[in-house]
Amino acid sequence: MFWRYIASALRFRRRRLLVAFCALAVAATLATVLFSVYSDIERKMRHEFRGYGANLIVAPADGATTVPLEGVAEAERLGLVSAPFLYTPGRVNGENVVLAGVDFQRSGPLTSYWRVAGERIADDGECLAGVRAAAHLRLEPGSRVEVEGSPCVVRGIVTSGGPEDSQILLPLRRLAESRGIQGAASVIQARGDGQRLEELRDDLARALPETEVRLLRAVAETEAAVALKVKRTLFLLAALILGITVLCVANNFTALVLERKREIGLLKAIGAGERRIAALFVCEALMLALASALAGYGVGLGAAWWIGRSVFGPVGAVGVDFQALFPVALTTLAMAAIATSLPLARIWKIEAAAVLRGE
Amino acid sequence: MFIRLIAESMRRSPGRKAMAAAAVAMGCAVATAMLGVMLDVGDRMNRELRSLGANLAVRPRAQTLPVEIGGVSYRPVSSEEYLNDSDVPKIKTIFWHLNVTSVAPSLKSVVRIRDIEAPVEGVWFQKGLRASASAWKVDGQWVDDSQPDPNGRECMIGSALARRLGVSPGSDLALFGKTFHVQGVLTTGDEEEDRVFVRLEALQQLTGRPGRVTQILVGALTKPEDEFARKDPAKMTPVEYDRWYCTPYVTSIAHQIEEVIPAAVARPIWRVADNEGRVLGKIRGLLLLVALAALISAGLTVWSVTATTVMERRSEIAIMQAMGATDWSVGAVFAAELGILGAVGGIAGSVAGAQLAHWVGRAVFDLAAQLPPLLAPLVVLLAVLLSLAGAAQPLRRALQAPPAAVLRGDA
Repeated sequence: MFWRYIASALRFRRRRLLVAFCALAVAATLATVLFSVYSDIERKMRHEFRGYGANLIVAPADGATTVPLEGVAEAERLGLVSAPFLYTPGRVNGENVVLAGVDFQRSGPLTSYWRVAGERIADDGECLAGVRAAAHLRLEPGSRVEVEGSPCVVRGIVTSGGPEDSQILLPLRRLAESRGIQGAASVIQARGDGQRLEELRDDLARALPETEVRLLRAVAETEAAVALKVKRTLFLLAALILGITVLCVANNFTALVLERKREIGLLKAIGAGERRIAALFVCEALMLALASALAGYGVGLGAAWWIGRSVFGPVGAVGVDFQALFPVALTTLAMAAIATSLPLARIWKIEAAAVLRGE
Repeated sequence: MFIRLIAESMRRSPGRKAMAAAAVAMGCAVATAMLGVMLDVGDRMNRELRSLGANLAVRPRAQTLPVEIGGVSYRPVSSEEYLNDSDVPKIKTIFWHLNVTSVAPSLKSVVRIRDIEAPVEGVWFQKGLRASASAWKVDGQWVDDSQPDPNGRECMIGSALARRLGVSPGSDLALFGKTFHVQGVLTTGDEEEDRVFVRLEALQQLTGRPGRVTQILVGALTKPEDEFARKDPAKMTPVEYDRWYCTPYVTSIAHQIEEVIPAAVARPIWRVADNEGRVLGKIRGLLLLVALAALISAGLTVWSVTATTVMERRSEIAIMQAMGATDWSVGAVFAAELGILGAVGGIAGSVAGAQLAHWVGRAVFDLAAQLPPLLAPLVVLLAVLLSLAGAAQPLRRALQAPPAAVLRGDA
């Protein structure tokens, strides 16, 4: 009898309940979206900072001028992206220019901000030219220059706004050979996960005792600050939105009970106990809430996936957090139960005869 | 009669009306707060990203190529080219001068300390270095150079160099034959760790280059580069050029700096400028979509509240119809009632929403959000429209139902 009553109550008032269902489902959707996006946002924001290149620098320790090349292997063993660079003054077409030895295969991810006209990679017998050096020496992609007495083809022109602009960039191995430098570089740049940067710095410093491992504070701190602020903004907005949505839905559910005075009167008149009527209403609300939570969860996951994908691209599409189901369902159910329970005290006050007479 | 009807209805069930208005207000509060924060956060994050350092470097339009490694020049000093002190304030006169957050001139030189050749830089400490590099760690104190003093003998030193020389904040250091007082030790992670910093005017005097600076680093708030920004300004039509010139792209700001200092070349530092745009774009996009989700839900809330209000009052509609009211007059009564509901809820909601946006701004950025003045009226208008739209469908259904059946309780 109890369940039959609920089933027919749901069916009989389906139009009215549909509005309540929609309101609650929207709340659940929003909760799922915010929960999914929020749980992953810090990692994603930090990922966006990869374009700034290195956040760790392995520099020569006191008095030395080079660092051992094993540093690159050590850094890679710790999961860092790293590349060695060698700088030395040299002569190009009879002019004094800074020559930079670059391991082009490794340096790619660390120098993604370079704007290059032509090729980004130079092999043996080839080089890249910084934009100021190129303007000064009148070079363009395809030109031939004489670097340290041996011929070399310019493959690309690099614009970075930094020191690279006035350098000639050669393959590291070739520059090291011509200078008689073995197994060493001027500096090793590395990029590691911003969240464990201090730890990585200490590990690297332990592995390379004769060098100085420095943390690029500007990059590391800005990354941390921005990730934190985006996360906090999102958290506060999510709390705000959810809080207000909960109030709205509660409003709606409270109205669901209030408008059924006559029904309550009737139930009382045919002998139903107040507790039983209250149980009926709460059960009804919970069933509605469960359906809304599931619907909202499904739609919400889709929306979160879409937001992740359209903002952060396919790489960031992992925006779906399946663990959201439990908190979302729990919140939705609790919300419906509380909102329905608040006006239940009225059941005890309603006088069957008075209500049915229409007073 | 019309007004009396509405007034009566408002008085008869103030509780119910207040609940509906409250629901509308909550929806509007979400919308206002969300939009407010979204519109404001881009600017705040832009300022936050400035702590990465300058995004423009202004250098003399040199004939020679610098041969410099780690701040040490491999070229005789006589061949160096310079900008003038008087050029520095000109940067604050460009079209986008309000977007310029830091101007840091510096003069470079090399000094021999015991047996170490160390690069030394003359800088503005408070206005320049400190403003453009807020992420640097300082042991000791920043030099207070708010009053220019060519005889100021304070300096700051990079931590790597400090370790080699065995100096710490408070010790003395001999530079150019004069005794300097070390006020602070800088930890930056970059080349600055091997440098000594002194007052610009002091270095100009000590190296006999009065009024000279080697470069000026400029930090500016810029608009992320888009397709349009990548076009070559030389090939733009006059209209396009004006648009480009009046948009704070990093390239147009560089162009404007070159206009006021003809002897200089201003180049974007792409490592900073490029990524700034990308990170900002992501933040904006993310908040935009979250705002969209919140707006849709706020809209649905307002919609469902008004729909419910009409549904509850079907018998009232039936009575009005039975007494001979036309569909139009019933519609007008409800439209007026719901319009008032939407407006009251909307105004209350947008006021509360603005407070919430300020609160979020203060909690995250320590600064209340700035909302565009048009936002509140827009939200109120939307609330009224949505209230009316929400009522339209159930009202039509109620009007179509035969009054007799509704009143008998059959429908």
